[in-house]
Amino acid sequence: MMLIKNTHKKHGLALAVATMMLTPWALAADVNVSGFLSVGGGMVDDENSVSYDGYSEEDLTFDRNLLGLQVTGQVSEKISATAQLIARSEKDYEVTAEWAYLTWQASDNGKVRAGRLRTPLYMYSDYLDVGYSYPWISAPNEVYYLPFNNVDGVDYYVTGALGSFDTSFQAYFGSFDSEFAFEDGTEGFASLRNQMGVAATFGKDWWNFRAAYHQADLTVDIFSDDLTALVAGLAASPFASKVADITINEDKATFGQIGLNIDTGMFVAAAEHVEFEVKDTLLAKNVRDYVMVGVRVGDFLFHVTGSKADDEIVEGLADGIPASPQTQPLINGLNAAAAARDVDREVISFGTRWDVASGTALKFQVDDVDDIKGEQKVYSVALQAVF
Amino acid sequence: MKKLLNSLALLFVLVAANLAFAEVAVIVHPSLGVDSLTEDDVSRLFLGKAKSFPGGAQAVPINQNEGSASRDKFNEAVCKKNASQYKAYWSQLVFTGKGTPPKDGGDDAAVKSLIAANPNMIGYVDSSVVDASVKVVYKIP
Repeated sequence: MMLIKNTHKKHGLALAVATMMLTPWALAADVNVSGFLSVGGGMVDDENSVSYDGYSEEDLTFDRNLLGLQVTGQVSEKISATAQLIARSEKDYEVTAEWAYLTWQASDNGKVRAGRLRTPLYMYSDYLDVGYSYPWISAPNEVYYLPFNNVDGVDYYVTGALGSFDTSFQAYFGSFDSEFAFEDGTEGFASLRNQMGVAATFGKDWWNFRAAYHQADLTVDIFSDDLTALVAGLAASPFASKVADITINEDKATFGQIGLNIDTGMFVAAAEHVEFEVKDTLLAKNVRDYVMVGVRVGDFLFHVTGSKADDEIVEGLADGIPASPQTQPLINGLNAAAAARDVDREVISFGTRWDVASGTALKFQVDDVDDIKGEQKVYSVALQAVF
Repeated sequence: MKKLLNSLALLFVLVAANLAFAEVAVIVHPSLGVDSLTEDDVSRLFLGKAKSFPGGAQAVPINQNEGSASRDKFNEAVCKKNASQYKAYWSQLVFTGKGTPPKDGGDDAAVKSLIAANPNMIGYVDSSVVDASVKVVYKIP
């Protein structure tokens, strides 16, 4: 009897699934699955010079692969659930839920989301992993370098028309913990608390202007033996009170962004300027920007991008420590620690995007890197698609 | 060579004729209390920037399937995007949870019957298939 019942149930389920599949409208309204992928790699011109964008070998390696699936399910008329699962080759294709949130459609134009969201730091933050949606293989490194891409919290997103202009506004509050690596490879662990920010856009058909401001209480453990020794040395010295000036312990981090995006169909352009500062720490103030211009010819897009990292090293870290043969190693250590967090680099990138088929683009890019630490050229290629 | 040129010329004439005469009509259900829309209204609905008709009724835009001539013409003329730009535009919204593209409703005939049966839908078809079951609110010459 049990068995029969079960069979009935299975039949019922199969029938329900079949019915749903026969009525694509009903199915489509309930669950939406979309995906994106990027397969590619690159090589450098000179192995003996600085590495860039993670590339350091003269042999072509295809190690930049990513597959993402986004599933959105309608929970009720006004509430939906979204998860974005991503597998990256850098992380051995371990599947992680980079986003997972509930959306409440509060009004026709406004929605409240809660869960793990993308931090709206940059113009392209929202679709950073969807290479297909922008011209480059990946967004310019000098500007898109912050590791705090996601946040656990709530946000409010509203769109509206202001006369004939389109506007959007987003505000969020949350926190995040993340492992990360500085650009020189030094690893660390960051905790962001009381993180909040606003981002607004203003545009019309072919142009869009964006500005954003974010702040958080930032704590960072830097995994560096040199630094640990330096802090220990400082703590044991008569200048122990200076420890608080260099460590990153609940210090206020601020991030500002402005950007402009242009797409006339034939001509495209984008520019962004960002500044990131954590006062009373050894971190340099990051001042970064890029400008991209491009032209579309049929299924091809050719673009040139100039990007720049022009960081300002924190000054006076050793102020108040009288110079003497005994204090000199400490002073040198402090100045070296500050200098190590500085990035000064200019990069010119030439790229093409070829829309091979609907939803698929093949991209090539050459980056000419002029870093204060050395010069480098990087050649990269990627096939990117959405489905 | 001459033959090739001739066939090319013929092809050109055919394509040009196709482009010149295939008028696309934007259609809604006859019961909708809106008699005409501007290009801007239509474009806002199909790009996800507006969700209701002027007047407040909920609007559900319906695309034709990828590759249809009406779809290409509509996207170029109203949304000002070619097929791949259109795809890139929506991939920016889809993967941020900020919007979902209009559903694909098939070809001219299929979209017409969908619109004829659904008071909230708006679609576009080649004008040649328009009949009394739908109402034309905008025409792309």
